[in-house]
Amino acid sequence: MADLALIAATLTFFLLSIAYTTGCDRLGEKNSGGKK
Amino acid sequence: MTANGWFQICFFFALVLVCAKPLGVYMARVFERERTFADPFFRPIERLIYRVTGIDESHEMRWTEYSIVMLIFSLVTLLVTYAIERLQHFLPLNPQHLANVAPDLALNTAASFTTNTNWQSYVPETTMSYLTQMLTLAYHNFFSAASGIALAIALIRGISRKESKTLGNFWVDMTRASLWVLLPTCLIYATLLVSQGVVQNFRPYDQATLVQPQSVTTTGADGKSTTQVVTTQSIAQGPVASQEAIKMLGTNGGGFFNTNSAHPFENPTPLSNLMQMFSIFLIPGALTVTLGRMVKAPAHGWAVFAAMATLFFAGVLVAYHAEAQPNPLLHAVNQHVSAAPGSIQPGGNMEGKEVRFGIANSALFATVTTDASCGAVNGMHDSFMPLGGLVPMVNIMLGEVIFGGVGAGLYGMLIFVVLSVFIAGLMVGRTPEYLGKKIESFDVKMAMLYVLIFPLSILGFSAVALMMPNLGLSALANAGPHGLSEILYAYTSATGNNGSAFAGISANTPWYNLSLATAMLVGRFFMIIPMLAIAGSLAQKKLVPPSPGTFPVHTPLFTVLLVGVILIVGALTFFPALSLGPILEHLLMQAGKSF
Repeated sequence: MADLALIAATLTFFLLSIAYTTGCDRLGEKNSGGKK
Repeated sequence: MTANGWFQICFFFALVLVCAKPLGVYMARVFERERTFADPFFRPIERLIYRVTGIDESHEMRWTEYSIVMLIFSLVTLLVTYAIERLQHFLPLNPQHLANVAPDLALNTAASFTTNTNWQSYVPETTMSYLTQMLTLAYHNFFSAASGIALAIALIRGISRKESKTLGNFWVDMTRASLWVLLPTCLIYATLLVSQGVVQNFRPYDQATLVQPQSVTTTGADGKSTTQVVTTQSIAQGPVASQEAIKMLGTNGGGFFNTNSAHPFENPTPLSNLMQMFSIFLIPGALTVTLGRMVKAPAHGWAVFAAMATLFFAGVLVAYHAEAQPNPLLHAVNQHVSAAPGSIQPGGNMEGKEVRFGIANSALFATVTTDASCGAVNGMHDSFMPLGGLVPMVNIMLGEVIFGGVGAGLYGMLIFVVLSVFIAGLMVGRTPEYLGKKIESFDVKMAMLYVLIFPLSILGFSAVALMMPNLGLSALANAGPHGLSEILYAYTSATGNNGSAFAGISANTPWYNLSLATAMLVGRFFMIIPMLAIAGSLAQKKLVPPSPGTFPVHTPLFTVLLVGVILIVGALTFFPALSLGPILEHLLMQAGKSF
């Protein structure tokens, strides 16, 4: 049970990190007026 | 302090300086796929790796793809490490029949080695099997270091490329860092360590019969005392030299034995000690030359090197001076306490230090290992004088940009470069430029994100630990400011991905294992992402021709500004916490109180 909880927490952290990457990318696009 | 001590410190630094250029140029050629002397050996192997793994060498990645691939790679390797730790009792290469690692400790260790931290909440020789040490921990020592180099190269490409959407290929950069740089260097280095007496075997632990049997009294959980006579001692063995080489070269720092590089089987001689310190700074120092060469501004690379060197010498001066003083509290046992030969403290504070290294090399090792994100120790930082212990903590708090971890030190330093040119631009009222690229609001936002996440994790977790007597404070062995230093150091070391410990804190508890694991993951990945965002942003920009208002980034003025920005950001962020920890402890020690 502890194993499952810790693995789920780890997966959540890395999913958050991917969302963070996407968020930073969107902020970059917004700052450059959508032009890349 | 002695002239001999300073000679050894300067000799060590001269070695780093001499070797930085050839290795830096070699790495630039490797990562730009120019011909090197090693092509006949490594190029066929590299091609074979791509063919077997299906990697397209010519595929270029945007920063987001580079980041996500790195995250998925780290996640998979973390989970594999966790699984092997949890199953080690059923797996081979476990002659001591060590049990499976507990879930919270397994996660802490997996996060620790994936993030290049190598914080160890366990005693390696009684917890980890040979298979766990070799298959998972040594593996991470290579690939977390290779990942750091790859990320630094991606940032350098972001600076050097113009109007480009891509930063290179993560798999290719990882392969080149491992195959062309880390593996061959480690093969030679491990052999040199064996020549000094570092062990390398798969034997079960030796049993030695004690000349003088010892009586040991232990108190059980029920409060009953039992006394037993110990007649034998286990002497741990293992494949140490191969682990030790990448532990130092990759600025990992996780020891094969609990006492790390203070153990005579890990670091037997003064020469092996010199090799270990040199190997910590070798790649980070060389990467500044790689930077200069890849951005076609070698003087800029040397200006960054000079900033690192300035901060390094400042740190080692304070640490060596503090440790070369006698402890004033020993006045009680010696009225004429001094550091002179023949006195009660010859040379200074020898508590927690190995006699074969002495004070100069212990203070130097502590400075080097925390300037970089290594975390290996050859003496116990907890036993340093308060100001001596302050130096390792401050080194990590400055972001480990003083040479720093392999790759991580350089990209951390380049974030401060971005901030420095931004501040210089504000001073003269112009849009800041860095090597022909305009630094705009998005770049500064990402740089600030990078700078702010670090103290948020350190101070946030430390505050929570201090507020909870049953979880945070109960693990402490010392009260007062020293206790605060122990907690602050633990979270600083974890977030900074350093891994050294201030000891005195029993960190193998569910709270510390899980909170430190989170701090390590946040300190690694939440800082890499904004750094890669800056790299992606810089790569897309046009080059602006230099003008009279352009701030040159290769002059002593630039070096001074860069050092000033690093110190001011660090001081503003951490001075209040430090003043309640090691600084207060120093003042109370002068007043005759210890903790």
